[in-house]
Amino acid sequence: MSGKMRILTSVAAIAIVAAGLGVWIIRGPGPLDFAGGTKVALADYRAGKPTGVPAKLEKASLVERGEYLAKAADCMVCHTKPGEKDYSGGLAFKLPFGTLYSTNVTPDKDTGIGNYSDQDFLNAVQHGQRRDGARLYPAMPYTSYTYMTDEDVLAVKAYLFSLPPVRAKAPENTLSFPFNQRWAMIVWSAVFNPDTRFAPDTSKSPEWNRGAYLVEALAHCGECHTPRNLGFALDNRKRFAGAITAGWRAFNISSDKATGLGNWSDQDLISYLSLGHAPGHGSASGPMGEAVDHSFSQFAPEDISSIVAYLRSVPPVPSPDLPATTAPVAPASHKDGVTADARGKKVFASACTSCHGWSGESPVSPMATLTGTWAVNDPAATNVAQIVLSGTKRHTPAGALSMPAFGSAYTDDEIAAVANYVTGRFGAKGSKLTGKDIAEMREQTAD
Amino acid sequence: MHMATVLTINGETKSFDAPPEMPLLWVLRDILGMTGTKFGCGIAQCGACTVHVDGKAVRSCVLPVSAVENRAITTIEHVGSTPAGAKVQKAWLDLEVIQCGYCQSGQIMSAAALLAATPRPDDSDIDAAMAGNICRCGTYVRIREAVKQAANGRQS
Repeated sequence: MSGKMRILTSVAAIAIVAAGLGVWIIRGPGPLDFAGGTKVALADYRAGKPTGVPAKLEKASLVERGEYLAKAADCMVCHTKPGEKDYSGGLAFKLPFGTLYSTNVTPDKDTGIGNYSDQDFLNAVQHGQRRDGARLYPAMPYTSYTYMTDEDVLAVKAYLFSLPPVRAKAPENTLSFPFNQRWAMIVWSAVFNPDTRFAPDTSKSPEWNRGAYLVEALAHCGECHTPRNLGFALDNRKRFAGAITAGWRAFNISSDKATGLGNWSDQDLISYLSLGHAPGHGSASGPMGEAVDHSFSQFAPEDISSIVAYLRSVPPVPSPDLPATTAPVAPASHKDGVTADARGKKVFASACTSCHGWSGESPVSPMATLTGTWAVNDPAATNVAQIVLSGTKRHTPAGALSMPAFGSAYTDDEIAAVANYVTGRFGAKGSKLTGKDIAEMREQTAD
Repeated sequence: MHMATVLTINGETKSFDAPPEMPLLWVLRDILGMTGTKFGCGIAQCGACTVHVDGKAVRSCVLPVSAVENRAITTIEHVGSTPAGAKVQKAWLDLEVIQCGYCQSGQIMSAAALLAATPRPDDSDIDAAMAGNICRCGTYVRIREAVKQAANGRQS
């Protein structure tokens, strides 16, 4: 080998090692690596059954089991455009570099997945590969679904194939270069899709393992609640530390005492997941509201308990921008407390007080109480502004309670003012939103 | 099938069948025939449907009936028998506040709740309590005067 060749070979070797190291650093740990126990193949796990459906559905038909799992994986919310038929696709995902549309997953042969074989369906859900070989974008959370067992994925398929086929073609994606190069997802997927099935941890309880399967494989909580890395994949070093998704803030759900779930009681978590509300913690709205309505509220009680057991074990990661303690109840009189933003106060007096009160404790329903919620204690006021713009509705066994959307009733400046007033009066630190911020939020969430 | 709902309205116990999510306003008007409380916007933004729940002014059009069981509900039909409500109604008549009248049940309910909590309100208190009650006829100036008169117990 000549000297030149030797240098070239060395440079190439160094480049390969550097690239490998870079990938290894960016990719970081897997979602379950924090547990640290011994993982065994599912077939070798005898202590319990972490996958599949809850006991009461064990004897149910394949389609019924698939329905439970499809709800647990919350397929419908993304695969349905509001006002259109369930699972017929077409929902827009607005990204900084263009818009993606979800696919029709009804069994229509032309526009849906009617021609998918079992292997085609497994390829899509676990590997992110379409029937025609094209790669899926990770808006489809296949890096989470990849942990699902083949049996569970195929039960979901059986359920989808039991639905009436709907003829509906989603609009073409409008991604800009280079994001419109689907082939590049081959590389992305090779780096970021663990492409492995769930492996139970023998050092943990059967309940924990069931919770891990539900949270990581099906409910894909991390897709919204875990920050993303340089490669737009989940950064599991900051597992569940919270992130902004689709213009809403998914708050910290790690076990951090101050800013995560550390000070929520089990009952709070059970109530929040199954009803969308926990006293003193507010009500689920936006994407989490949808997750509760279509997914968590349908879970068997023992599955909710397993999720709680698992969430408790996720290591604490603080959110430094959130206050260590949420603000107490505001004064009952409009004259006391924060009165700086005159315009915000004016909007609040006419549009908000009748339900939320001047103290933040609702005279109408605990579900409308602002005191203690992260939304009003977030100095960025992201979710306050979003809820004012688009309203919210909570369904409970005792009926629905809703807040109207004010997006078309007030200007950007007025919505910024009322969000600043609300966070100032009821939160630990007032926000400083401007009309421009509100205009940008409208962009992110508009249909 | 659902259980009969029991509410305490104007000091009386009322029992009826209604789905738990039915707004209190519908129960009042359509089931109990108490039509003094008005339907305006249906989204808690105009104040026409205001009633008192445990003495506080709330919009009955968005209030599920399940949320007000075991709580004291007062409507425009009965507010005249509360001290603040009686003063407000007298001032309203003395100053002839009302024009078309559609919003006025709600205006009177909000004003009565204000005076019960704040017997001597200043202009900012009136703004804070009454801003959510809108009036297409624009009787706001007379409303403000009448609230002050009710508070002071004399003609202004």
